[in-house]
Amino acid sequence: MAVPRLVADLVAALGADAVKAEPLDLWLFSKDAGVTRGEVRAVTFPEDAAGVAAVIRVAKRHGIPVVARGAGTGLAGGAVPADPAVLIVTMRMNRIEVDAANRTAWVGPGVINLDLSRHTAPLGLHFAPDPSSQAACTIGGNVANNSGGPHCLAEGSTVNHVLAVEFVDGDGMIQVVGGPAPDPNGLDVRGVMVGSEGTLGLITRVLVRLSPVPPAVRTMLFAFADVAGAAATVSDVIAAGVVPAALEMMDRPLIRAVENFVHAGLPVDAAAVLLAEVAGHPAGIAAEADLIIATGRRHGAFDVRVAADEAERELLWKARKSAFGAIAQIAPNYYLHDTVVPRTRLVEVLEEIYAIARRYDLLVLNTIHAGDGNLHPKFVYDGSVPDQVRRVKEAAGEIVRLSLAVGGTLSGEHGIGLEKRDLMPLLFGAVDLDAQARLREAFDPDRRFNPGAVLPSGSRCFDFGRAAIGSPSDQVSAQSGADT
Amino acid sequence: MTALSSTVARLFGRFVAEVEGAPRAQFTFAPTTAEEAAAILDFASEHRMSVVPWGGGTHQIGAPHEPDVVVSTRALGGVDWRPDDLTVVVGAGVTVADLEAKLGERGQTAVLPENAGAATVGGVVAAGVSGWRRLRFGPTRDRLLEVVVATGDGRVIRAGGQVVKNVSGYDLPRLFTGSLGSLGIITRVCLKLWPQGAAAATVVVADPERALAVAHRPQAVLQTASEVSVYLAGTAAEVEAQAAALDGRATEGLHWPERPRGAVEIVVRVPPAMVTEAVALIASANFVAAHGVGEVIAAGPVSEETVAAWRTWAEAEAGSVVVTRAPAGFAIDPWGAPPPALVLQRRIKAAFDPLGVMVPGRLPGGL
Repeated sequence: MAVPRLVADLVAALGADAVKAEPLDLWLFSKDAGVTRGEVRAVTFPEDAAGVAAVIRVAKRHGIPVVARGAGTGLAGGAVPADPAVLIVTMRMNRIEVDAANRTAWVGPGVINLDLSRHTAPLGLHFAPDPSSQAACTIGGNVANNSGGPHCLAEGSTVNHVLAVEFVDGDGMIQVVGGPAPDPNGLDVRGVMVGSEGTLGLITRVLVRLSPVPPAVRTMLFAFADVAGAAATVSDVIAAGVVPAALEMMDRPLIRAVENFVHAGLPVDAAAVLLAEVAGHPAGIAAEADLIIATGRRHGAFDVRVAADEAERELLWKARKSAFGAIAQIAPNYYLHDTVVPRTRLVEVLEEIYAIARRYDLLVLNTIHAGDGNLHPKFVYDGSVPDQVRRVKEAAGEIVRLSLAVGGTLSGEHGIGLEKRDLMPLLFGAVDLDAQARLREAFDPDRRFNPGAVLPSGSRCFDFGRAAIGSPSDQVSAQSGADT
Repeated sequence: MTALSSTVARLFGRFVAEVEGAPRAQFTFAPTTAEEAAAILDFASEHRMSVVPWGGGTHQIGAPHEPDVVVSTRALGGVDWRPDDLTVVVGAGVTVADLEAKLGERGQTAVLPENAGAATVGGVVAAGVSGWRRLRFGPTRDRLLEVVVATGDGRVIRAGGQVVKNVSGYDLPRLFTGSLGSLGIITRVCLKLWPQGAAAATVVVADPERALAVAHRPQAVLQTASEVSVYLAGTAAEVEAQAAALDGRATEGLHWPERPRGAVEIVVRVPPAMVTEAVALIASANFVAAHGVGEVIAAGPVSEETVAAWRTWAEAEAGSVVVTRAPAGFAIDPWGAPPPALVLQRRIKAAFDPLGVMVPGRLPGGL
């Protein structure tokens, strides 16, 4: 079979060892950790921004979109091409340059999240966002999705830890937005790049803020006889003015699955457990821990376990972060959403989720970033049973509508991608979506970057507002000399 | 009466307002809803009239001196506080001082600028101004959960959401933070709140860099011409232990310095490790330097040449020197070097203000 022209041009631009296009490669890279499969024409592995720019120029010549991919741990199809595309895998862009004096680092998008914190640990610093997939997921993916993790309760999501972004635009030009000094002049383009899911440009380097490793940490595991007690503890801790480092909840089906998998000594007779962590100054965390323990007991915690040492703490966190692996023991497939609700509404929302699961005769397992109100209800099912798939999707849809009805949102940290794209009109009106589409058009008028993700088709609506005099492209070409 | 002013009187007569301190304009309005603000901006776009949004008038950098329209946000009020969720939805015209006083009743804060004077929430967000406690809590933009905006061409758009964690769609709340009214008028925001801490202390120390190394996540480490102070808040036990470790002169409470005022006011922004050098450079002026943050606010009878020299130094360190106030005729650009990706900045502005009526020329690079 003749090598397609596109692949030949990519090989000419990057070298044969940086391009894969065998049928098996294309199939393997056509999916992330979610449920949607796309269509890939070539998989590229550039080593730097110049290589990325070369791929983008080839893609432009061929009129084909590009989609960025890190480790493929995304759950929303953000790295899955809706239409045939060239994949740019960032794994070879994995340099770390630390500036210890400023507590920052320039990091390649292919650096694995946990590797960054390990790299900076000797300096007493770490990268605060800690998604459960942190042993595999990349910084580029974290930035693209504005990822969270248990510790973003107190530390904020990825966007709070990104100072500058280098990216390649649709013309193959390398742009840097943001910088090491606070509040760079001009519009906050950096802030918009974070969480843009690869739709505004291709990120090739990120300047991240590193946080001090807290001098003291206390990790506690509470066992509750009912879910409401755990949820009420979360609400009361926040209402009492304590923002712990993390406040995570798991329910009985999940506790049992995880315990069977990790053997962390979790209370399998509990209806729910709460994993709470306080971190900071040794004198400060003692008082916070006391308050959380008292609150938990008041809401019926029948067992409180305080991690005695770092090994026990790590084991408890391993249990929390092994939810996905543990679920595989129960059924071949799972489907989850990532909605967020006001934290004061957790109890009622959880009760309703159980009612939905009962109505559809499904098993639901819950891990919850409870302090943030961020739900991850997982329906387990067998994809080979057609009726199960239908019931799972309908039940998941009900959870989304429930979350939005109490003032919540579609996604807290996983992104919109392809999976939740068509749910966006449940959250935003036509004028709001049009505004987002206009912003996207300002970055990527050719729709080169991940065009299927985030916004449903038809979001750009020319009925709203006014058009500028002269087309946008005229303005740009008139100005492009000033930008170099 | 011209045809235009009779049309304005008919359409917007009930929003006409007098706003003290605002620039003289052909029309000055104080709309009461986002939709009303949008109608005014739609009209302004149709007639190519330049617009200056006006909150408390405390951060009027680079605004046109004689706009056609001034839109005051003072009638955009309302505070919907959800203390148990640690969030608040607040109208743009509410003053920072009023909001913080209310939140303080239950020991919460939006961490907006301290001693904010007449500044409004909408104005502080639009100007992207942060308070001294930024070292601990990050900049104001990290508090923005949701914005409602009347765009330059008269659309009302909402982005973000009223929950503390959200990645649904592009982060327009951050884009609007610091946009200085160039895209439209922020009419309402939802902010994430923080507990203030039960106890607080201010500790005067000798060495700011030692203080940063010794104190665990203080609220601020500020240096003035006379002293260096470390600001602590949290539980009583923590504040006491941290103050003891700092080994300085401690007093209860947070005693913030006055923001330096003078004929010329500037903000020097550099990577945090450069603050000590920046202080050495500008020691002749009245200043407050935020160690660990990278910001030095200074004021005094500074000449254009001096500002230019400081700017040359700061820009070489990947920073900036912004002139936030200057006497008439002060012949220096408020921003300095235009930001990179200027074409992109221009296109983003056009996405929200296609006819360029919002504070033309205010943004860096003359946008």
